[in-house]
Amino acid sequence: MLTIHLLEVEGLTKRFGGLTAVNDVSLQIEEGEMVGLIGPNGAGKTTLFNLLTGFIKPDSGTIKFEGEDIVGLAPHNIVNKGIARTFQVVRPFRHLPIIANVMVALKSPRGAQKIEWLKTMERKAADLLEDVGLSELALEPAENVGHGDLKRLEVAKALATEPDLLMLDEPFGGLNPLETDFLTKSITRMHLDEPSRAILIVEHKLYALMKIVKRVIVLHQGEKIAEGKPEEIAKNKKVIEVYMGKGTHYA
Amino acid sequence: MVISYVRRAYSSFAAHVFDIPPRLMAFMFFLILLFLPLAGISSSKMSVLIYANIFAIFAVSWDLLVGRTGQISLGHALLFGIGGYSSALLFKYYGLPTWITIPAAMLFSILVSLLIGFPCLRVKGPYLALVTMAVPLIIQLTFKWGPLYSIFGGDTGIRDLPRFFDLILIREQRISVYYLTLLLLFISSVIIYKIANSKTGIVFISILDDEVASKACGINITKYKLMSFVISGLFASLAGCIHAHVLEGVDPSMFSLTISFFAVIMTFLGGIGTIYGPIVGSYIYSVLDSFVLPELPKLLERFNVDITSAFESAKLLIFTLIVLILVIKWPRGVARFTTDKLKDLEEARDLDERGPRIWKTYKKKKK
Repeated sequence: MLTIHLLEVEGLTKRFGGLTAVNDVSLQIEEGEMVGLIGPNGAGKTTLFNLLTGFIKPDSGTIKFEGEDIVGLAPHNIVNKGIARTFQVVRPFRHLPIIANVMVALKSPRGAQKIEWLKTMERKAADLLEDVGLSELALEPAENVGHGDLKRLEVAKALATEPDLLMLDEPFGGLNPLETDFLTKSITRMHLDEPSRAILIVEHKLYALMKIVKRVIVLHQGEKIAEGKPEEIAKNKKVIEVYMGKGTHYA
Repeated sequence: MVISYVRRAYSSFAAHVFDIPPRLMAFMFFLILLFLPLAGISSSKMSVLIYANIFAIFAVSWDLLVGRTGQISLGHALLFGIGGYSSALLFKYYGLPTWITIPAAMLFSILVSLLIGFPCLRVKGPYLALVTMAVPLIIQLTFKWGPLYSIFGGDTGIRDLPRFFDLILIREQRISVYYLTLLLLFISSVIIYKIANSKTGIVFISILDDEVASKACGINITKYKLMSFVISGLFASLAGCIHAHVLEGVDPSMFSLTISFFAVIMTFLGGIGTIYGPIVGSYIYSVLDSFVLPELPKLLERFNVDITSAFESAKLLIFTLIVLILVIKWPRGVARFTTDKLKDLEEARDLDERGPRIWKTYKKKKK
């Protein structure tokens, strides 16, 4: 019998003028999996992200989520199907307090539907903030909150719609080791709390990533060059080559 | 402990999320307006206050669309004119009474808002401003167009509409109109205020702040933009209807840029994004326009400068200067400036009683 993957990408291609940002990429993500997506600068990680979440339309290829084709759907419809994302550069609603930022996501059809019975929207927003450790700042306007906290806010906003697939775009970018450690722990805990939720993480900081994911996909110049367990990837010659350059005596 | 803190926090949630003026102040403001006619103001001056009420409704509705949703429209006169004209046409062809034509015109304006809003709201920022500016001008030309004279009445418009104040009977007509417009202003501003400060209002602000992030939160931004456009248009058309029946006539100047810019000037005077600000702005504008500025030529005459002939055309220039100075001096508007001062006083008192609140840090950074 043909098994249905949570996310199934087949031959995805996107060109910007003469540049092929994503070239014939195929990948699968299973339910409850924690997957890392790495690659050097300009490898097409963010473009792939934008393709999967509908912010950019692909030139060719198919994206199937829970067996359903989602190519061409508007971003907000994809979120309501169960794929939530964060942004590499934080995008808070700066006029709104932290708690209201989360409530925007709870106001979306999927977010509103997922609020448990007898629970108010405020209550749920407060719970989400507690999960990522932002309770203290709940009423602070987002424009006064530091970058590290906004990174966590991005995660809380994405979690508000209770996605089946959570996509984090460089969640550790610009964080100090302490904050990285905290976020790593909360992502791991999040995964334990909701084991059926798949998480896809794009990251530069390989060290933090390799500790939490079970499988890594490596992109280079828009193409998938390797896939496997973190330990295997760390030893993979091709991967070392694209990260460190040629000449094995350095690596 | 954290849980209890958060619980306490969101119980007073709305008060923290939005710029809510001290309730006492809003109450005082309406109380003053309520007793204003008793101060023995002459009939001609009364009509200035009536227009202040009408344009306050208009400016408040503009503030919801622009100040809270961030969809810059410079053609809000569109719905103002549509409201007035549809009410007038309903009277002209079917002879319906005012209390039917006004609601019907408002319903019709929903349709127009949807028709115009759907294509217009696809563009953003300055382009949206330009498109919205063009639409009422096109309609204005259509209404002036010769072949349609028998329907829209060309430049003269439609005259002899039923008077608005037939609804209630107070000895003095002007005062009864004043109270009626004041009542409508109160009702519509409370409704808009409630909408803007609801959870839907949070989504409006999220669109103002970052459309892409709103989409990523699963919000159908087109739907919410249209919603804001329709609600705003509904009250703009109400203002148009009242204007038409107070003036007992409509003409194509209702679609003019001047009307659209009234909303902009009044909102900036009072404080954009406050919802209550435009009411204050409308009163400041009307008082300046009718009571203060006309004194200017008389004042200058003493110094043997005669500007009476050029004065009317120079009025808008003077207002632009005033707004420019205000925007630089008090970018958050007069109304917000006052409430900020009052809140600071309150907070200074709170500080003694209950210890610091987290808002304190926010306020300090602002300055």
